[in-house]
Amino acid sequence: MRLDKLWVVAKKDLAEFRTNKYVMYSILLMPLMLATVLPVIYLSAFVMMPPATQALDVGNEGISMEIIDQVVVNGTYEDTSFLRCELRDVVASNCRFEASNLTNCLVRDSYIGNSTLNGSALFHSNYQGLTTSGSTLSGSVDVSGVNEDIEFLKQFISFLLIFFIMIPVVLPTVMASYSFVGEKLNRSLEPLLATPTTDSELLLGKAAAIFIPCMLATWLSFIPFTIIVDFMVSGILGYAPLPDPVWIIGVFIIAPLFCIMSICLNVIISSKVNDVRASQQLGSLVVLPLVVFFIVALAGVFTLGPEIMLLLSGAVLLVDLAIIYFSLKTFQRESILVRWK
Amino acid sequence: MIELRDLTRRFNGNVAVDSLNLTIEDGKVFGFIGPNGAGKTTTIRMITTLISPTSGTVHVNGLDASDPEEALQIRSHVGLLPEIPGLYETLSAYRNLDFYAALYGVPIDRRKDRIKELLEMLEIWDRRDDIVGKFSKGMKQKIAIARALVHEPELLFLDEPTSGLDPEAALTVRNFLLELKKEGRTIFLNTHNLDDAERLCDTVGVMRTRLLAKGSPSELSQQFWGRTTVVHLHSISPAMISGVRGLSGVTGVQQDGDHLLVDVTDPASVNPDIVRELVRQGGQVESVNELKRSLEDVYLRLLGGGK
Repeated sequence: MRLDKLWVVAKKDLAEFRTNKYVMYSILLMPLMLATVLPVIYLSAFVMMPPATQALDVGNEGISMEIIDQVVVNGTYEDTSFLRCELRDVVASNCRFEASNLTNCLVRDSYIGNSTLNGSALFHSNYQGLTTSGSTLSGSVDVSGVNEDIEFLKQFISFLLIFFIMIPVVLPTVMASYSFVGEKLNRSLEPLLATPTTDSELLLGKAAAIFIPCMLATWLSFIPFTIIVDFMVSGILGYAPLPDPVWIIGVFIIAPLFCIMSICLNVIISSKVNDVRASQQLGSLVVLPLVVFFIVALAGVFTLGPEIMLLLSGAVLLVDLAIIYFSLKTFQRESILVRWK
Repeated sequence: MIELRDLTRRFNGNVAVDSLNLTIEDGKVFGFIGPNGAGKTTTIRMITTLISPTSGTVHVNGLDASDPEEALQIRSHVGLLPEIPGLYETLSAYRNLDFYAALYGVPIDRRKDRIKELLEMLEIWDRRDDIVGKFSKGMKQKIAIARALVHEPELLFLDEPTSGLDPEAALTVRNFLLELKKEGRTIFLNTHNLDDAERLCDTVGVMRTRLLAKGSPSELSQQFWGRTTVVHLHSISPAMISGVRGLSGVTGVQQDGDHLLVDVTDPASVNPDIVRELVRQGGQVESVNELKRSLEDVYLRLLGGGK
């Protein structure tokens, strides 16, 4: 393998890409949109209606009465502590409820722990270990430390990683279609193949011309994305979530592996089609397993952690090795001139 | 030198090239003529190591095309002009040539001079920075020829170099090829243009899957028609025809208006006897010439279309 020949091929392809407005739009606009517009759109909802995480000051320190193991029906209560009580049709404020069942009750500025709410409404209160049925919780905070909204936000930020893996998957479909199918349509492959270069030097040179701008676009766009995400959600989470190990593995290991997969797959596709758009459409299908993986993760089947990401990296690497082998078999002088359609 | 031995190539069972044996000496221009699908391009592709033969061998300057390392060396010794120029249309003429010069390993300090030299010879140096996509077909062909020569190859393979060009562009290309011939470069020319082949080639091969004939244009003409003397007379009588037919060395006589077409074995010795006989018979001889059979006549006779 002579790197100088490889680089000559890569430089020529890069020069051609610079003159192709479709390729340039794709390389510049797609990462820019995904890095800036996407987080703003998706995270605005969380910023505008941030889930509360701090316990509310409900002012129920001044408990003046305690009711234990009783059934309480009707009545309005203030500054009262209920322990193991059955409450029905009760209006309560500045109260504490522990191990109690509340049915058809209206509660505000209170604390409810390890209790059940049936057909009731809870306003501006703290709670933990609460089981609800047909009830409304408004402006209230789970003080157990487990906040479903926060957990969802964390998972959602991990889910956005899919778009950063999509960049190096989708961009090569655009670039490879021009690089391989375009060169085939232009009939410029024959004089190229007549030069004293090996098949692998030509293939890797062309692949490098796609890989380098795709990964540069991905990594450069990761910078504004990180800044925007951290700026938007650090107030909610109390810390800057990016970069974290999941994203580091995703952007710096999985994304390049998917990029290689996409390039090699497009080489194979290029041998079968004679149309740039058909090549792009078929090449885009490589994102499908990726989308399924992330949607399954978002649905909560598994949590996107470093271990899962490393497992995914290993799986993609194995697929890459197989596809590299097939693309090298496809990109041979004889095959290109005799078998490529 | 190019040596092909029993070279055969099949595509899905169809024979494209059948048992081709051919030797092309250094410094010669060899023309391959034949109809579409005759196997001419396939032969070039096998010699330039783009595809491998089904059987048989290719040696170029003693290098074996079936050996990957030697194939790489063969490619560095040859220049190829494919039937379609296949240039990078969004790049400039200069950038196209510079790319190929780099791939062929032309040293960086020599590249600019070489490209300038070629583009000046082809009269397009002042258009070097223009995008190739804006060029006419003739200009693209010139760039493609320059590309094939940028690394100063010992062997040049040209597939239909004047095909589809206007007469002026075709003339420029033809003259350029004549210059290359004078330089003593070995050229392998695939062409449908029999006039080009006749003017440019030392040796011509007529191909239709198999090599049907090979020789210089005049040798082929003699091989298929023998030699014919054309005598222009004021008038022709039957006695003149029978008198000439009876001469030794005459194999046939035909009348064509006021011309007598006499097939002879050796014009130098028989022509004086013909003239004497015609004068003896009272004929007024106006001119005596040898009938030139063109390569086209050879081609058409060989491929079944000739009279």
